[in-house]
Amino acid sequence: MQLPFGDYLVGNSLYPLALDLFIPTIVFFFFGASYRVFRYFAVYKKPFIPYATSVMRETSSTEKVKKLVDTFANSSKVGMKRKPVTTAAGLLMHLSLIVIIFLLAQHMVFWAYYIPPYKILFPFAIPESSADGALAFTLATSPYTSTSYPFVHDIWGPLTIILNGQYITYILMILLGIYLGHKFHALAEGLTLRSGDWWFFLLLYIDIILGFLATSHIPNSVVYYDDLLGAHIIVAEVLIATLPFTRGFHMFEFYLGKVREWYFMTYRRGEK
Amino acid sequence: MAIAETKVDMEALNKAIDEVFYGQLDSTMLYYFQSCVNCKACEAACPFTPTSLHYSPVNKAEVSRELYRYRFSVWGKTIGRFIGGSKKYLSLEEAETMVDYVWHCTNCGACMFVCPMAIDSGAMIDLLKQVAFKAGMVPKIYRDIADLEISGKYWEIDFFKNSWNSLISKIKDAIGKEVPLDKKGSEVLFYTSIYEALAYPDVLVKVAKILDMLNKDWTFMSKPLGIRPPIGLVIGDKEGAAEVMQRVYSYFTDISPKYVMLTAGGFEYPSLRYTMHETFKVKPKYEVVHVTELLAKWYENKEFEIEPLDETITWHDPCQLGRRGGVFEAPRVLMKALSKKFKELPSHGVNSFCCSRGGGGCGVPSMVENMAKTLGIPVSDDDKKFLDSTLEPLIKAGKIKVNEINKIKAKEVLTGCPVCIESIGFSIDYYHASSKVNHIVDILADRIKVNKK
Ligand code: SF4
Ligand code: SF4
Repeated sequence: MQLPFGDYLVGNSLYPLALDLFIPTIVFFFFGASYRVFRYFAVYKKPFIPYATSVMRETSSTEKVKKLVDTFANSSKVGMKRKPVTTAAGLLMHLSLIVIIFLLAQHMVFWAYYIPPYKILFPFAIPESSADGALAFTLATSPYTSTSYPFVHDIWGPLTIILNGQYITYILMILLGIYLGHKFHALAEGLTLRSGDWWFFLLLYIDIILGFLATSHIPNSVVYYDDLLGAHIIVAEVLIATLPFTRGFHMFEFYLGKVREWYFMTYRRGEK
Repeated sequence: MAIAETKVDMEALNKAIDEVFYGQLDSTMLYYFQSCVNCKACEAACPFTPTSLHYSPVNKAEVSRELYRYRFSVWGKTIGRFIGGSKKYLSLEEAETMVDYVWHCTNCGACMFVCPMAIDSGAMIDLLKQVAFKAGMVPKIYRDIADLEISGKYWEIDFFKNSWNSLISKIKDAIGKEVPLDKKGSEVLFYTSIYEALAYPDVLVKVAKILDMLNKDWTFMSKPLGIRPPIGLVIGDKEGAAEVMQRVYSYFTDISPKYVMLTAGGFEYPSLRYTMHETFKVKPKYEVVHVTELLAKWYENKEFEIEPLDETITWHDPCQLGRRGGVFEAPRVLMKALSKKFKELPSHGVNSFCCSRGGGGCGVPSMVENMAKTLGIPVSDDDKKFLDSTLEPLIKAGKIKVNEINKIKAKEVLTGCPVCIESIGFSIDYYHASSKVNHIVDILADRIKVNKK
């Protein structure tokens, strides 16, 4: 089978299947997301505001903006004070995930294929491994194949020796391992855990491992590579398709919750 | 658990679950139900987590989520049931756990601000409290006190009547003239409850003195409007609370002041300021404010000056006044004027650590017991057991509070809620700390210098 990307023949692997499934995944995701959003509208009730205050509540616009930033930062601020280890692990995990998903060079090509304006971010691309990063920096090589976007000319410079897919994936695997430990601890304590949490978490963990194996060529064979890469994409697709039904949806709702908190606690409370 | 030995009417419980959960879903609740990521960040904020991780906000609220899922999600109705993700009703044991959980939450709202998703677990736990109430699973001692308030019979109790009348005569002595009572159209209606009249009569006398000194057009109530209205909200009795609020609202409307001024910053503040009017969908002509709000306003208008103290003082933000009510700034205006050595507690503002309101109960257990005895309400063994069970969280949360007070070496902890004063006072004694806890007016009243116009 011929792939949409150039002349590379991949044969009978999971890879073409994965690519074929991408659009249906997105459709499925939008369907689920619409269902989730629709439910909010279906049960919406206009809040009743008894009166605005005339006493000591004026908040200046600058103050309101400052409080908006505080609203988003408060969780980490308190967490660092009272639960430093899990909070730090959580923050670093999110940061690593964002970097890997959106800035790993390979991922960027994928995103840019479906969303062309994504190309603007190409200078921020991070290389696959520490060796790539070092080579790009020390030798400043240009790619052998002609490409209009020479990834080796990123803006990270020597940072790519540590800021690369390989190291960040190690960090992610460790941090998600800590999370897994956290979950088993909760299980042992008899605290409630939900299947939706496990589902999202396990898919994510498996996906990271598959991506790591594929990019590291373990085991080292083209057929395996195609299958691993295909499996990596398929697992990601299952994850995306089920996102509206799992905790994964927090990547969108996070903003909703915090802005709502700010609106009711700062903006409206401060109105005169 | 106190209710463990009592017979639970399972039918009533199931009916209550259906009523509460089908009746109160809106987009905010839906968000709280479905958007938690189970990260447990909320543990850090809850005054009950130091007692047990089982009392962490997310774990307590999960009971609500399970009941919600069965009713409102496809997943919950289908496979959720088979993998323990949702429940139609609760077994007896689960119901007992639920009751235990609801009395380990003060609805302080701290979890919401620490939750990265801004989820108010307290609001979900409150639904369980309503279920427990409807199913007759509320500790009897609280119910009896609330019933007394709803029926209006509290005024037939000599102990209450005498305390109230003695408060009025104390105020009369302090201001040296008749106390203006139920005067319509006054600028300030000085509102207070029997509970406060018992907890800190001196503070109330001082408030009246300030109003008199500042030459305000004010009035007091000839009769209280309840024991601590609307106490029903604290025990999950929405309907009973609505009855009491109707009484309060009629009185406020009848007097029609510019400001209804509260000295208490506990649950009565958001209840009378927001909930009451939201429930009846009315836009009143008056404004409900806390005494610190009016004093700060008058202070900023230069109606008086404050002679400062020379000691380290701190402000404890009552959860209901601050987080739920939005009053953070006014007390600080006064605190800064009261001492140059005003210091914030390590946890303050939206992150103020809850005093645990007498261990999740409606007050320090010994005080509740004494009150019941005075009122002739029998305290059963179950009640006693329940009250004793509220002591552990009070001690555990109190330790954190006292450590914070010690850390900033505050001589005086000032606040604006009778139960905070009681709970923090208990902890200070328990841990032999050297600070004192008072209502802000207690200290302020003696340091006000009125500017003659
Ligand atoms: S902090 Fe919020 S999202 Fe995290 S477990 Fe608690 S309620 Fe859920
Ligand atoms: S509202 Fe307060 S007491 Fe209740 S769960 Fe949240 S933090 Fe804990």
